[in-house]
Amino acid sequence: MVAAWLLLAPAAVMVAGVLAYPVAWEAWTSLTDLSPQRSGPARFVGLRNYVELATNPVYRFWPAAAATLAFVGLTGAVKLALGLGLALLLQRPFRGRALVLLAVFLPWVYPASVAVIGWYWTLNPPLVTSYSRLAADLKQAVDGAFGSGAWALASVGLFNVWRGAAFTGVFLLAGVQAVPADLFDYARLECPSPWRRFWFVTVPLLRPFLALAVFLSLTTGLADLANVWMLTGGRVVFPVLGTEAYWLGVQAGQLGPAAALSLTLVPPLALVLWALFRLVDPPEERPR
Amino acid sequence: MAQVVLKDLNKMYDDVHAVKDVNLNILDKEFVVLVGPSGCGKSTTLRMIAGLEEITSGEIQIGNRVVNDLPPKDRDIAMVFQNYALYPHMTVYDNMAFGLKMRKFPKAEIQKRVQDAAEILGIQELLKRKPRQLSGGQRQRVAVGRAIVRHPQVFLFDEPLSNLDAKLRVQMRVELKRLHNRLETTAIYVTHDQVEAMTLGDRVVVMKDGWIQQVGEPLEVYGRPRNRFVAGFIGSPAMNFIETTVADGAGALWVECAGLRLRVPAERSARLAGKRRQAVVLGIRPEDLHPATGADPVDLTCEAVVDVVEPLGSDILLDVKVGNCVIVVRVDPSVRLRQHDKIRLAFTPERIHFFDAKTEESLQ
Amino acid sequence: MVIERRWKKWVFFYVPLTLFLVGMLFPFYWMLITAIRPDAELYRSWRNVHNTPFWTLHPTLDHVQDLLARTMFPRWLWNTFFIATVSTGISLFCGLLAGYALARLKFPMAGTLGTAIFVTYLVPPTLLFIPLANIIRNFQLGDTPWALILTYPTFLIPFCTWLLMGYFKTIPKELEECARVDGATRFGAMARIIFPIAVPGILSAGIFAFTLSWNEFIYALVFISSPERKTVPVGVVSELIRGDIYFWGQLMAGALLGSVPVALVYSFFVEYYVAGLTGSVKG
Repeated sequence: MVAAWLLLAPAAVMVAGVLAYPVAWEAWTSLTDLSPQRSGPARFVGLRNYVELATNPVYRFWPAAAATLAFVGLTGAVKLALGLGLALLLQRPFRGRALVLLAVFLPWVYPASVAVIGWYWTLNPPLVTSYSRLAADLKQAVDGAFGSGAWALASVGLFNVWRGAAFTGVFLLAGVQAVPADLFDYARLECPSPWRRFWFVTVPLLRPFLALAVFLSLTTGLADLANVWMLTGGRVVFPVLGTEAYWLGVQAGQLGPAAALSLTLVPPLALVLWALFRLVDPPEERPR
Repeated sequence: MAQVVLKDLNKMYDDVHAVKDVNLNILDKEFVVLVGPSGCGKSTTLRMIAGLEEITSGEIQIGNRVVNDLPPKDRDIAMVFQNYALYPHMTVYDNMAFGLKMRKFPKAEIQKRVQDAAEILGIQELLKRKPRQLSGGQRQRVAVGRAIVRHPQVFLFDEPLSNLDAKLRVQMRVELKRLHNRLETTAIYVTHDQVEAMTLGDRVVVMKDGWIQQVGEPLEVYGRPRNRFVAGFIGSPAMNFIETTVADGAGALWVECAGLRLRVPAERSARLAGKRRQAVVLGIRPEDLHPATGADPVDLTCEAVVDVVEPLGSDILLDVKVGNCVIVVRVDPSVRLRQHDKIRLAFTPERIHFFDAKTEESLQ
Repeated sequence: MVIERRWKKWVFFYVPLTLFLVGMLFPFYWMLITAIRPDAELYRSWRNVHNTPFWTLHPTLDHVQDLLARTMFPRWLWNTFFIATVSTGISLFCGLLAGYALARLKFPMAGTLGTAIFVTYLVPPTLLFIPLANIIRNFQLGDTPWALILTYPTFLIPFCTWLLMGYFKTIPKELEECARVDGATRFGAMARIIFPIAVPGILSAGIFAFTLSWNEFIYALVFISSPERKTVPVGVVSELIRGDIYFWGQLMAGALLGSVPVALVYSFFVEYYVAGLTGSVKG
């Protein structure tokens, strides 16, 4: 008992000590009208910020939420599909596998902030560069179809997929290797269709790994959005929850609504986490 | 109609030659056991028959059909794995039905076959459970049941009993034999345990370093091993080997070493005649030695000193010193001996084996 | 290996693998090309007759030289290395102890705490730097490496703990019990038996933490203001983008050079890394 607490203490002090205050601050701020642009102490306003968010179109909450959902959902699905494909490809031994593994992992290892610039440069080049016309045409076509900023969001999406698929792939590869080889051998003996084999054997066996991969790709997806917004100096203007919160808080100085906005992400994430934990560790059926 | 034929079968992994020129005809309804120490190529051979390993060269026929290029699922075989390979996310029923479902059998048929198999194996009560709720023996039964529902042409067993405790292993061994008598399906069984090989196999294939050493019925392999390796591998406790030299004397051939001088039985002299003054290895099983009585000819006996006494109940194993070597003798439990006792041992003449000291081939 | 015909292997293995590799590595190639392309070529028009968008005929190290001579790039490299190493060390230490406690010691709420670790990941990081900046200011740590060394563990420790907890669970209890029967204390057994066996897990957690801190951007941007104290990601981006002018060549050179250490670390440990991740979920 004592030993346990002793061992947990350093971690608890580091995490809770440094994180508790900011989280509490954010939660409290979301209930006030704190703003650096107004003198005087912050006033407690109850849930007004949240109500405002939901009802006042000025805050663009609903479009931002929809865009966030679409972004995270789409990139999540693509990352999972690519990652799984990668893991299954790399499952078998072949010459040069270690090198391929390293190459596949590079995108994730690479400093994201710098890689973003690389991508930004690739997809939104300054006008004078060699292929900028091509890129500009693409940008116009996409923005014309989905609204201004869509191309930039798509670039962020691509970037996120590029980075995330690498991580998901290596993570799932670890999963595939953790499954006894017998189980895959047996499936090859018994199941004529690779497709059915995939759904009946591979996916269920990898379930815990898939669940964790989804969770990690969700949270990193959300974090990426905010990073990119800052990195590109606000050039990505398609409103999603993270960028809106940043904009509201830092640019417009409305810290209360901004805090509220970013906290709206917590309940849905918690729900997803709970669902995934059920997947990882389903309640045991009693034998009859 | 499902004999299995292996012709000049070879397997190379990068630079390891795992299976070398294996030729084997397995008859319909036969139970053949591949046995050998780990790394002898037995599992690789089985996996090539299953289609889980690519064939480097040679040919495999199942039921008169060359299957070299057939994927495993089309070979009409069923395999039981060492670790059972049961799917943790499926119930016992679903595990057993898996192969049939994948082949799109009608539901009623699947149900009937699974029920039948469960009945044969006595696991009807377990059908709704998940593998992790089963004991080792129960999992083993499910793995076997999963193979028999398929009604395959050939059963392949890859060390299926090696994860069970000793008692359960003996019990399952009997059940497998009974099952084979009942189903009459060709079976190929891989094990490193020579007792399993002897008790289960219609024929036993002894392998070492990728080569087949000997093929034959269990008692033939036991009684007339073709070389020193087979002689030492089959039988427990293992055959005793004594390095001797062939010598002439008194109108007969003798083999001798420190503390031992035996007259070569007349019917064996022909093969040893050319080996005068050369080294040969004498082999004798513990059960083919006994304390000498007046009836035993003196020139087939030797002096020995008891070193260790191991009573097994049914008989006693004696580790004795003969000259410089230690050999094991199996004696009747009524024999009362203690450490350091001196005894005279007699060799059963027709059970003495001789092996060439260099090639290790039998000089039968 | 499945027995397949040759063309099948091509269609289902080599072709997709190649596509993956090209997709994964093209951006790096692009950065490399940009880094060694002379400026004249870099800003040439698409329709120019001599345009070679995908390669360069006049490779140059000008940008790299510029980067090393005119910016504080070597200094940033050292800062980043120092900060990443120390914060990784702290996080590993805390994570090892906490992971062990959660995996091995029976106490009420062990399960709940294990789950709670994940919850720290639920808080969106977007605005956290504002209150964190307050703390940093109150402790007068602003513009020092300690500002980062103390804040990075907040997001590193949960991950390390979780990964190591999973790894410890895969180590058979008997190993430790045997050591304790043989006379080791619980802490002795932990340090001398369990930790050495957990080396793949520890390495993998360490690499993960090192990468995350090497790449961290927001905190480094907000808490550090002097150019000579910046880290590579921030330095490269903030010093080589002036307003709307991007020094592309130097930027890409910095990007490539700046990630060499991390890539090196990975190339040595990639197998360990996969092994370590495996343990984390099995438990």
